[in-house]
Amino acid sequence: MNETDLAGPILFCVALGATLLLVKDSSIRFKRVSFPMWFLQSALETQNAAGKVQFGYIYGMSAIGCIGIYALLNLMSSSGVSYGCVASVLGYCLLPMVILSGSAVFFSLQGTIGTVLALVIIVWCSLSASKIFISALDMEGQQLLVAYPCALLYGLFALLTVF
Amino acid sequence: MHPAGSAAGTPRQRKGPSKRRIPVSHLGMADPHQLFDDTSSAQSQGYGAQRGPSGLGYPTASASPQAAFLADPVSNMAMAYGSSLAAQGKELVDKNIDRFIPVTKLKYYFAVDTLYVGKKLGLLFFPYLHQDWEVQYQQDTPVAPRFDVNAPDLYIPAMAFITYVLVAGLALGTQDRFSPDLLGLQASSALAWLTLEVLAILLSLYLVTVNTDLTTIDLVAFLGYKYVGMIGGILMGLLFGKIGYYLVLGWCCMSIFVFMIRTLRLKILAEAAAEGVPVRGARNQLRMYLTMAVAAAQPLFMYWLTFHLVR
Repeated sequence: MNETDLAGPILFCVALGATLLLVKDSSIRFKRVSFPMWFLQSALETQNAAGKVQFGYIYGMSAIGCIGIYALLNLMSSSGVSYGCVASVLGYCLLPMVILSGSAVFFSLQGTIGTVLALVIIVWCSLSASKIFISALDMEGQQLLVAYPCALLYGLFALLTVF
Repeated sequence: MHPAGSAAGTPRQRKGPSKRRIPVSHLGMADPHQLFDDTSSAQSQGYGAQRGPSGLGYPTASASPQAAFLADPVSNMAMAYGSSLAAQGKELVDKNIDRFIPVTKLKYYFAVDTLYVGKKLGLLFFPYLHQDWEVQYQQDTPVAPRFDVNAPDLYIPAMAFITYVLVAGLALGTQDRFSPDLLGLQASSALAWLTLEVLAILLSLYLVTVNTDLTTIDLVAFLGYKYVGMIGGILMGLLFGKIGYYLVLGWCCMSIFVFMIRTLRLKILAEAAAEGVPVRGARNQLRMYLTMAVAAAQPLFMYWLTFHLVR
């Protein structure tokens, strides 16, 4: 865990962004356009979509969330943790969220089944992130305590995906 | 090998394995048991010992595959300068952080585990059956929250505050009044009310001249426990409407009132009064009023900060 590796997390964030753009586009229009035009169009559409939360806020909130979890882990564990380690673990555990947003392409997530799926994915992401943290930092009896703030953070991502 | 030599040799033999750590000047001594001077190993060990203490920032140029690049003295110096700069920067940040935020003191409040959090949450919602509210001490310092359910912690208040802000955003979202700026506004207004409350209580404690061991962080922890009840009230209000909100909020207000009275009684009031014997005297009465006022302020704040979220 001493090696911080951000290649995977960045890949997952790009994949999440791509699937989200795919979702937003497939729900808006279905014309056949060339791939670069489609990408640009959907990017502009999501920016202009009225009432939708802008991506900038989400990136800001997730950065603040990462800093918050970094501070919490440093205070709760006996050995410290570096910011790169926190960011890389949180990024890797974001992978199930890509599954959620991928499934949003095929059916709308706003019903009961969407909510249940989103909750399951949030619990999955946060339990795996907390498992890695407590095994790396040697904290006993604190897995649920670490999982809760991770669940709040992944809940923000899920809100972005669902709404 | 005659015994004198072997007797003299054993202390040196014990020094044998630590040969790498001895400084350069002592490397002339060889192991007397060897028939010849092992100059090759001594020299390489001497070289290693020479470079070891002085070259902390230097990479082991002879072993790494980037030997050619790093053997260049200029890049060596650059790396050393860069790493020393980074170390200095980190030290500076650590020192300054420690000046503003007492990290070691805060670590005590986060030494919690799941069992403690569960028991404490149960206590916050139902404090009526708990008998012993005294914090256990271990040689003059209070025991960590992990080992005593009565000790204050900062994990629950911090998580409750963040969850309150998010749930408030959710509540506003269901009323179609959500925007991310409003989330930041909720967070900063709740934080401002908390700061105001802490300052008011510290001021009144100072005016009443109470000698307590109630530190500021303890006070922040106690005042942060009301956010748990607020979250419960808002969630019930979202699910079941105003009736659910008022029922759950009423219950949580009563529980927090009793919890605060029983906890603060041990901290603010004198020992005699804490044991249940009513001590008549102006000072104790003043302290009693102060405790009641602090405890009564909690339900008021709980209502004030949540009623606009449930319609």
